[in-house]
Amino acid sequence: MLLLEHDAKTLLAREGIAVPPGVLIESPAALDGVDLPPAPWVVKAQVPVGGRGKAGGIRMADDAAGLADALAAICAMRIKGHAVQGCRVESKSDGTEVFLSFAVDPGAGAVRMLFSARGGVDIEAVAPEALHSALVPPRLDAMLAALPRLLEAAPPQIAAAVADAGGRLAEIFLRHEALLLEINPLFVAADGSWTAGDARFALDENALPRQPQQMALLSAREGAYPDALFKYRQGFDYIVIDPEGEIGLITTGAGLSMKIIDDLTAQGRRPYNFVDIRSGQFRGDPGRLITVMRDIARAPNIRVVLVNIFAGITHLGEFTKLLAQALAAVPELRVPVVARLVGNGLEEARVILAEQAPAVELQVDLEQALARVLEIAETPHV
Amino acid sequence: MSDSMPDSMLMSLLRGEVPVLVQGITGRAGRSHALQMQAAGTHIVGGVASPGAKSNDGPPGIPVFADCAAAVKATGARASVALVPPLQALAAAREAFAAGIKLLVSVTEGMPVHDAIKAAALARECGAAWVGPSTPGLAVPGRMKMGFLPDVALNPGNIGVMSKSGTLSYEVNYRLVRQGLGQSLWLGVGGDPVKGTRFADLLPLFAAHAGTRAVLLIGEIGGNEEEDCAAAIRRLGFDKPVFAVIAGSSAREGVTMGHAGALIQGGLGTHASKTAALKDAGVHVHQHIDELVGAMVRTLS
Repeated sequence: MLLLEHDAKTLLAREGIAVPPGVLIESPAALDGVDLPPAPWVVKAQVPVGGRGKAGGIRMADDAAGLADALAAICAMRIKGHAVQGCRVESKSDGTEVFLSFAVDPGAGAVRMLFSARGGVDIEAVAPEALHSALVPPRLDAMLAALPRLLEAAPPQIAAAVADAGGRLAEIFLRHEALLLEINPLFVAADGSWTAGDARFALDENALPRQPQQMALLSAREGAYPDALFKYRQGFDYIVIDPEGEIGLITTGAGLSMKIIDDLTAQGRRPYNFVDIRSGQFRGDPGRLITVMRDIARAPNIRVVLVNIFAGITHLGEFTKLLAQALAAVPELRVPVVARLVGNGLEEARVILAEQAPAVELQVDLEQALARVLEIAETPHV
Repeated sequence: MSDSMPDSMLMSLLRGEVPVLVQGITGRAGRSHALQMQAAGTHIVGGVASPGAKSNDGPPGIPVFADCAAAVKATGARASVALVPPLQALAAAREAFAAGIKLLVSVTEGMPVHDAIKAAALARECGAAWVGPSTPGLAVPGRMKMGFLPDVALNPGNIGVMSKSGTLSYEVNYRLVRQGLGQSLWLGVGGDPVKGTRFADLLPLFAAHAGTRAVLLIGEIGGNEEEDCAAAIRRLGFDKPVFAVIAGSSAREGVTMGHAGALIQGGLGTHASKTAALKDAGVHVHQHIDELVGAMVRTLS
């Protein structure tokens, strides 16, 4: 999970890392009465993706009018499909701009350390010979030992500053079990001091249970990380991918759920949500089904709900009992429900559905179920 | 999995009986899966309780030992399936490798990534194969399974299956089985970014195994595992037909859908990149499952 820049810098500042003074302003209206850092300012879109500069999500402002204009323009943007979640307004920094990054390298199963004396631009734009790299185990001694090698070609004053920054950032990277900690640019001032000009800090959601400082940060920013907090609290993945979507999904398994979304999207339809409901973990409780159905029922454009359960472990008889209970508990979900069920206990499931939820249309073949869902979604409104 | 030891360990699964332990056998899932693995033909020789388990009872007829070392000493186990909570997965791997286990399957979902890096390094140091985490396991249909791949999708056959996703592989294999096809070895590599065994690691095994006539790769957006596998297919001159389906064509950058590894970042790991790399390596990439199944039926029947 990539932290928004403002949150990354808040976390880094708490860890003693120098960042430019800045505030989060969540909408143009929220500017009134804010205690601003010294001008001139950089106004930066808060989105969980890179490349916002190229997309126009970073602007300079010298005075109050310029700031208001920049805020209004940026807050109205969508960048790579993500609504801008406010702006960080911070004092403009100066100095030599360098690039420093630590990242988990999945293929190597190690930490990739990268340094370039030419920072402040997309790292893809840096010539390979200007980019210095090391691959090390996730241990502080190994990361500290690799730093001087990365900095061999850098001017002495830069090398000294980055060695200091790198050592402190490596310790933070490891203690926070980060997937990525990229500082670009890292500003090095004439006096040798340094400041983290930007920060891309990706946390491991799997490590959250033993990272109380991260949990506190996320909980205080409820609106910015709804998917991660939902998973942490509920134990399963649920993501609204298109608030205007017309097809609600109650599916299990990340890969197959993703594929169903692909197939519906390829047919020109708009799935509302992704979910991996993990029917194997229900243990007789319809709670997860009810949670998902209530949310789908609140969406404005839902035409049909597709249930897809491939029961490797789950018994379909047990599942359909819970499905019927959940449907009874969420009467506001009034659209047709197509349930594609395969695996253990199908005949029992058929009987239970006929008795307890006769409106649910049972399918055993996924392609046929998808065809039915498309047919219902395409039926004109009456 | 760069040296030959893990390959030979997986090859021995294909050839004959390997004694298997179940770590976490006293838990709800451990007890039930141990019996189901046994029913699938797996030679389950013993189990180890989860650390801090409330009970030390395993399922009837399977001895429970204090730790992996004691279990290996008493039973000669060479492989293990770990069904333990996420924050205990590294400790379980450490214990298994230290005891001399040469093939560990970690089904655990939610293992912290830094722990996975450490477990992968331990496996390399010990010359062991590590499969997972976040995998439904592996199976040689008709002979054995480690984990919980569903019986309805298993059938002895000649397709080597490797998959990041559990459920998508169930769906595809279920349809293959209904067409009369089956698997020589089916191995879930798991949906996490850092893992013990990646797609490319399995190519030498599938190349060497006479009973494998084709390979099925079930991939997902995120990371570069499919691209690496495509490069390895070219490098090795892998000449058995490879079929693939990749989930996530509709995913947006910066949104994780369920699998921690399935995340597009900075324009890398996209569906287009994976499809192009695999096609360039001669892989038959299909967007529709039924088309994929049809193509495999035509090639293998």
